[in-house]
Amino acid sequence: MQPTIIAQIVVSGSLIGLIYALIAYGFQLTYATSKSINFGQGELVMLSTLFSLSLLNWGLSYWLMLPLGMLFGIALGLFVERTAVRLALAQNSEGWILMTIILGLFFFSSAENIWGRDDHPFPSPFATDPISFLGIDITCQEITLASGVFVIMGLIELLMNKTLLGKAFAAVATDRDAAQLMGISARRIIMLSYGLSGLVSALAGILVAPITTAGPTMASTLILKAFSVAVVAGLDSGFGIVVIGMLLGALENLASFYIGSGWREVPGLVLLILALALRPAGIFGKAIVRKV
Amino acid sequence: MLIVENLHAGYSNSEVLHGVCLEVKTGSVVAIIGANGAGKSTTLRTISGLLTPTQGRVLLNGQTLHGRDAAHAARLGLAHAPEGRRVFGPLSVEDNLLLGAYRHLPALFGYKKPARPRLDTIYELFPRLKQRAAQQAGTLSGGEQQMLAIGRALMGEPSIMLLDEPSMGLAPVIVHEVFNTLRRLKAAGITLLLVEQFAKRALEVADYVYVMERGNIVVEGTPVQLQQDERVLTAYLG
Amino acid sequence: MNKRWLFTHGTEVVLLGALGCLPLAINTPYALGLLTLLTIYGVCLIGLDVTVGYLGQINLAQAAFLGLGAYAASLSVTHFGLGIVAALGFSFVSTFLVGGLLAFPALRLDGPQFALATLSFSAITTTTLNEMEWLTQGAQGLHVTRPDLWGWQFTAAGFYWMCLAILALVWLTMRNLLNSQWGRAFEALRDSPIATDAIGVGTYRHKIAGFAIGSALGGLAGGLYAFNFQYLQPSSFGYDLMIILLLGVVLGGRKNLWGAVVGAALIVLLPNLLSNPVVFRSFALIGVIIALLSGLEKYRQQTLRSFQALAPILAMVILAVGALLIHNTEDWRKAIFALMLFAVVVGLPEGLMGFATRRLAQLFHIDADSLPPSLPLEKVLRPQTQSPQRLLEIQQLKHHFGGVKALNDISLHVMTGQIHGLIGPNGSGKSTLVNLITGLYSPSGGTIRFRGQPLPLGSLYKIAHSGIARTFQNLQLFSELSALENVMLALRDHYRVPLALLLLGLGKQQQTQAQAKALALLEWVGIHPLAQQRAKDLPYGAQRLLEIARALACHPALLILDEPAAGLAHPDITRLVEVIRHIRQCGITIILIEHHMDVVSELCDVVTVLDGGKIIASGTPEAIKREPAVVNAYLGVSC
Repeated sequence: MQPTIIAQIVVSGSLIGLIYALIAYGFQLTYATSKSINFGQGELVMLSTLFSLSLLNWGLSYWLMLPLGMLFGIALGLFVERTAVRLALAQNSEGWILMTIILGLFFFSSAENIWGRDDHPFPSPFATDPISFLGIDITCQEITLASGVFVIMGLIELLMNKTLLGKAFAAVATDRDAAQLMGISARRIIMLSYGLSGLVSALAGILVAPITTAGPTMASTLILKAFSVAVVAGLDSGFGIVVIGMLLGALENLASFYIGSGWREVPGLVLLILALALRPAGIFGKAIVRKV
Repeated sequence: MLIVENLHAGYSNSEVLHGVCLEVKTGSVVAIIGANGAGKSTTLRTISGLLTPTQGRVLLNGQTLHGRDAAHAARLGLAHAPEGRRVFGPLSVEDNLLLGAYRHLPALFGYKKPARPRLDTIYELFPRLKQRAAQQAGTLSGGEQQMLAIGRALMGEPSIMLLDEPSMGLAPVIVHEVFNTLRRLKAAGITLLLVEQFAKRALEVADYVYVMERGNIVVEGTPVQLQQDERVLTAYLG
Repeated sequence: MNKRWLFTHGTEVVLLGALGCLPLAINTPYALGLLTLLTIYGVCLIGLDVTVGYLGQINLAQAAFLGLGAYAASLSVTHFGLGIVAALGFSFVSTFLVGGLLAFPALRLDGPQFALATLSFSAITTTTLNEMEWLTQGAQGLHVTRPDLWGWQFTAAGFYWMCLAILALVWLTMRNLLNSQWGRAFEALRDSPIATDAIGVGTYRHKIAGFAIGSALGGLAGGLYAFNFQYLQPSSFGYDLMIILLLGVVLGGRKNLWGAVVGAALIVLLPNLLSNPVVFRSFALIGVIIALLSGLEKYRQQTLRSFQALAPILAMVILAVGALLIHNTEDWRKAIFALMLFAVVVGLPEGLMGFATRRLAQLFHIDADSLPPSLPLEKVLRPQTQSPQRLLEIQQLKHHFGGVKALNDISLHVMTGQIHGLIGPNGSGKSTLVNLITGLYSPSGGTIRFRGQPLPLGSLYKIAHSGIARTFQNLQLFSELSALENVMLALRDHYRVPLALLLLGLGKQQQTQAQAKALALLEWVGIHPLAQQRAKDLPYGAQRLLEIARALACHPALLILDEPAAGLAHPDITRLVEVIRHIRQCGITIILIEHHMDVVSELCDVVTVLDGGKIIASGTPEAIKREPAVVNAYLGVSC
């Protein structure tokens, strides 16, 4: 067993894992402000990707498509917040779980009918020839993927930790009423978090599509992995999500290479079962405290 | 400055306020006293918009507050230091203060410089907060958290400040300190609407006092008038 | 034999009879197939309704349990040659166990995380079924032949009748279960898990049992599903089926057996109805009309947000426009489902049958169930007489929150038969002390002895069983249950009929007696005219009194009242003082936390004053009032 092969498998696996992490990060963003997540996030990823693909097919350049695709993602995120989440939050109910699932179903069916059920190749402006680095082959696409994930997460973490707006996010998360008393509109902060969540979903789709192709079902496995990452890591730390995402991607690749391709899903499941049994709130999550 | 007319409000199925009327004039300190559960906190929560009134009006400098959310009232210059202090526990003391001035500062970058003079004013008022600027607010003692809650409310340079039970759960010595602070705020000309269970102390700082019972204002007057009221004396000033 | 009885049971008989006779009228294989699927989904949805409706958790694992049950039944036939009854039993039992196991970790989670966990479980299940090719044939699919029933070969109609019989059996047993103490416990732990534990009805075992039963019904339906189609593929039990099942429960109406069966009928028939453009268009039109009517009603009530009135109308208009434009409805099936679900969830949160039962009850003037006369109070609260002794002894109790000392070295004792007051400024540690005694928190140090025995620390449930009951400062009522049911739930010593007999419907008498007892307690605190109203609809004062009645139903030796007078108007306070005095006369010892000093002086034998987590004084109310430390810290200034 050559170390370079192992390294190769780990690296390419964790690169895919970064996409899981980016989608799961979308959950974390909205969970932080409103304790709600969009169960139809996969459809956001898929719709934004297909929309971006249409833009490319209309002759737009990749670099013009990128911001437009992300804008589309933001718009979808805001739509989800308005139609599926706001009412339930105002009523203090968990109706948003069902509502976001329903909305996802609608998006999925619309996509099937607008873009058809088939998968389409998604072009990438980057060369597919691998670059060798310390004996490990990495394609330009993969480098773009990694840098895209790190840049967007870095920017959002910067927004959260270094700006006054980020502090307002934290304030809304800790105590919605007290934040309102500071003149921070909790509704706008929650909208913003859904917008950002839509943005990262769109980006995740655009980055991963050259590898997976684009089609209505492109996100159905990705989203399950992202859910696993969210359950295992917990929804309280962006760092934890990246770590678990990369770990999951790497383990999957190792299992599929050394044991057999049918075993690809097993490490994720084992991680899930362990996390559910031992730390249901997630490895990096905060435990729940009972209060009267 | 602040006018409240015939305010009715409550929680899902029970009305707590049954037509509260009160007025706060610019530069004055007004206190609401009364037993636990009389509706004092609910009055403040309804004024600032955390609760929506079912009837009645709230006017701040002629602008309506009722029916709008709390963020709206804050933007119009009303600060509310809520019951139980409600500081943002995981954030640092300085971040808490900065958020108090949220509406005056740029939302993204470069908010530190314009905030400096405000911070300095607060730190001058509460030197202890300066020492603890980088500490998580949740780890402060009760008295310090109360200072922080008042400081945070002052950061927005409000035209009126609502203070809900600033002495709650504090040791007598600290309570004394809190009331000294209130006197200094009064001397600085800040308009205050104060809710307090310690009636005697409230009477010492207030210019005008309302007594609440079961969701109604039952007596009102200057502290001197109230101290001559037989009923108030026995019930609240024992 | 009253109108209500006829109404509820008569309709059930009519429904089952009609379903049973249908194959005689229409005997096409296609129609029989639909009917069979209806009964199978009916069983499955009744199970799903236990978690989604009664436990109030979004359960995304029911499709997986259906699949597990299907595979369990098929494999037990192909590998062990079990007969059909044994195979169905096997699928029921195995999914019951798996459901219970899954509930263990999942019950530590709340809403969204529970949904995530069940979703993950579904993913695990489909993957495992796919990958274990040596057992399940993986994605190729598994063929199974329907076994005979004791040598009798099924016809299509025969199999349908068996499924219908099973549905009827499930319906009856579940109705008996859900109308009993168990059903109430399921609902209670959704509304307030803390209070459920505090009245000694264990949250954990009920949640596990509820989830296991729901899953097992899914598994049973799965067994029928396997023998119906005789061919299984793991991918049929994935996300799509799960959404369809949820659709059924939500459309039909939660917490409603009728809702489950009507929901099943809808999810079976809708795809067929929708494929006919004329039917679909008239369907959409009816949808628009219903949405408009209910929107108008909501607009008039004005209590609801405009979104709630407008969104369903918009969804239905989109559906109607779509119906005119689209010819191939099959392709848009999911979007159509989504629009209908959206409109129902927003506009009719109680579901079609929930809405219908309420309306029909109004239309035909069906009253609530009549109640038995209340028992005399002595039969409910047996007076306890004991010699004065130390009932509760607290030694050097400490509690820290993070680094903050909330309680520091508290030692006190409470004598039998007394009312022991606990006062102090807000935040002085009174509530923390109560939460330690009742087991919501575990102390950082110190001991508590009750009736001379060490108290099991840190468990609400165990402490409730040792004879301590409490009320809560922030009310913890079971808000969806009626006042009567709130009290009935707490009469836990009363229920002795074993589960098996309960399922057979032999709990009637016990139920009536519990009603009579609970009614006596409600009468005693003076809120019996409100007995059948939902707790959340009661006026505030009545809610406070209801909490006391519920605590008394636990037959406590020690009753802890945490600020019972908070927020009460004066006449209510007078009533409360009366009630508390009565309770003491029954020999129940009381710890009373109160701010109203007049209430404290009127009632208490001994008062302990807390400040800053320490005891600063204790003695008779009169002595306390003169204590300088107390005057300084607390009294001197107000109250």
